[in-house]
Amino acid sequence: MSTPDWIVLVATLLSIIVYGIYRSQTSRDLDGYFLSNREMPWYLVLLSIMGTQASAITFLSAPGQAYTDGMRFVQYYFGLPLAMVVLCITFLPIFHKLKIYTAYEFLEKRFDLKTRTFTSFLFLVSRGLSTGISVYAPSIILSSLLGWNIYITNIIMGGLLIIYTVSGGAKAVAYTQQLQLGIVFTGMFLAGYTVVKLLPEGIGFSDALSISGKMGRLNVITTGQTAQGFDWTDRYNIFSGVIGGFFLALSYFGTDQSQVGRYLTAKSIRESRLGLLMNGLVKVPMQFFILLIGALVFVFYQFNPSPLFFNKIPIEEVRQTSFRDSLLDIENKHAVIVEKKKQAVAKLPFIVSTHAAAEEEKVLIEMRGLHKEEEQLRTQVKKIIKSSNVKGEANDTNYIFLRFVMDYLPAGLVGLLIAVIFLAAWGSIAAALNSLASATMVDFHRKFFIKNQSDEQEYKTSRLYTLGWGIFCIVVAELVTGMGSLIEAVNVLGSWFYGVILGIFLVAFYFKRVGGNAVFWAALAGEVLVIGMYLQTNLAWLWLNAIGAIAVILFAVLFQGVIFRKEGTKA
Amino acid sequence: MIDEDKPPLFKRWTSWYYLVIGFLIFQILLFAMFTKYFA
Repeated sequence: MSTPDWIVLVATLLSIIVYGIYRSQTSRDLDGYFLSNREMPWYLVLLSIMGTQASAITFLSAPGQAYTDGMRFVQYYFGLPLAMVVLCITFLPIFHKLKIYTAYEFLEKRFDLKTRTFTSFLFLVSRGLSTGISVYAPSIILSSLLGWNIYITNIIMGGLLIIYTVSGGAKAVAYTQQLQLGIVFTGMFLAGYTVVKLLPEGIGFSDALSISGKMGRLNVITTGQTAQGFDWTDRYNIFSGVIGGFFLALSYFGTDQSQVGRYLTAKSIRESRLGLLMNGLVKVPMQFFILLIGALVFVFYQFNPSPLFFNKIPIEEVRQTSFRDSLLDIENKHAVIVEKKKQAVAKLPFIVSTHAAAEEEKVLIEMRGLHKEEEQLRTQVKKIIKSSNVKGEANDTNYIFLRFVMDYLPAGLVGLLIAVIFLAAWGSIAAALNSLASATMVDFHRKFFIKNQSDEQEYKTSRLYTLGWGIFCIVVAELVTGMGSLIEAVNVLGSWFYGVILGIFLVAFYFKRVGGNAVFWAALAGEVLVIGMYLQTNLAWLWLNAIGAIAVILFAVLFQGVIFRKEGTKA
Repeated sequence: MIDEDKPPLFKRWTSWYYLVIGFLIFQILLFAMFTKYFA
């Protein structure tokens, strides 16, 4: 990185830390520390919800997804607006009425202590581990591309935000997320604008869309239908997006304390509702535009030589192994394709400007053929990386956007986009630490350890828990170093638990006759079923959320009717 | 929290819910046309 990049990066990160500390003043009790004294307006709630959900991986992975697989990933978010509506109708009025700190407190009031403790424990395990991986996942990408030490990158990624998260709690988290999102969107907009500006003369934005679409990158809506019928292993299509995405979003926003803790900070139920509904309005377009940047980067690489593999580290490692000659052979073939592509696209700006549709189609058919050949070579390289057991993962999707940024964006903007990755990570990690501390404090410390502490003592203990979880997440990040990107692991891990936790809450809201014992054992059985299905089938993980939720409901109703028939609804 | 549950712009929250769902349907239709147009 150049000096201007370093200046932009360091100045941006420091400004966030200073701003977070400046916004740290809260009342020294749990209301102040975990809920910002319930005084946040809807737009801060909205930005906090968005900043919590949008992690570094959102901005690294999504453009890469569009590059390799097209824009269909946006369908993953189609269930989210529906979930926002259900939340506003069902979850929010109850959470608001009970004036709770954590979502799990409600489960004790509705069922019993063991169901509350079990659900809060599932949250702590899944959120604690996934936050650790969320520290590591962007760190490994940055360290690979920039040559930074991974262990130190982990500490910067997960450590600096602890300063303001510990000192200011939910208030510092919300205010810094506001600033972070502003910088993140500015950076992404500038990146998108620069991609279009870097296209050859004669190729404008609409031409780029046309090329991208004809090369199969603008496949926003897909149905998952094949000649053999519906493909249940297909990860992103309109059905898995609307149904699976709905259950995932309902569970994430309705039962995950990292999100519940954001909208409980609102100064009224009206502000919470508005924040959630606005999220339902803006989330899909936001993801669409992030993916569109990836589709435009794809067009850029049609006019410029694309790397055979976007992560250099494993390629350099393979060169030191017995697979060196095979790699060299593939690289030579790739060089030929790059040259052919260069010749094919050279005529394209002129053809586009003269609106010669038949000629344009001819060139695009040739480009599609060359792209297919290039993809076959990329598959071969991935196989070699896997077979040679070298360091670094055999999937470079998450490296595509940042590699483009490093290679082609001007000095200063590179630093800003590296800062974007840090800030996006900090926004979601800070909210996670705050929520992990609140669940530990309210669901465990107050219940099982020390029950009658003063407000001041509880405030100080909560700060210690936040610090403790921050250290835990960095330790997890350091321990998983060397295990590949693990981005998929975060989603899979979430899907193991999200559906089951949602099922518990849905039983609580909609099945008044079911009591604590039935739902507790139903949750355990549901968890075994979900993990079993993941291990035994190839079902796309998005479906696990729906299966987990439905299984818990069915088991709970069955157990209540057969085994716990004589018990009341509150065990 | 202060219980000020009157929605802005509309008389009832139900109208907001219809707006969110309607906008989702509109986006899906728009994306379907977008996909078809550029395919």
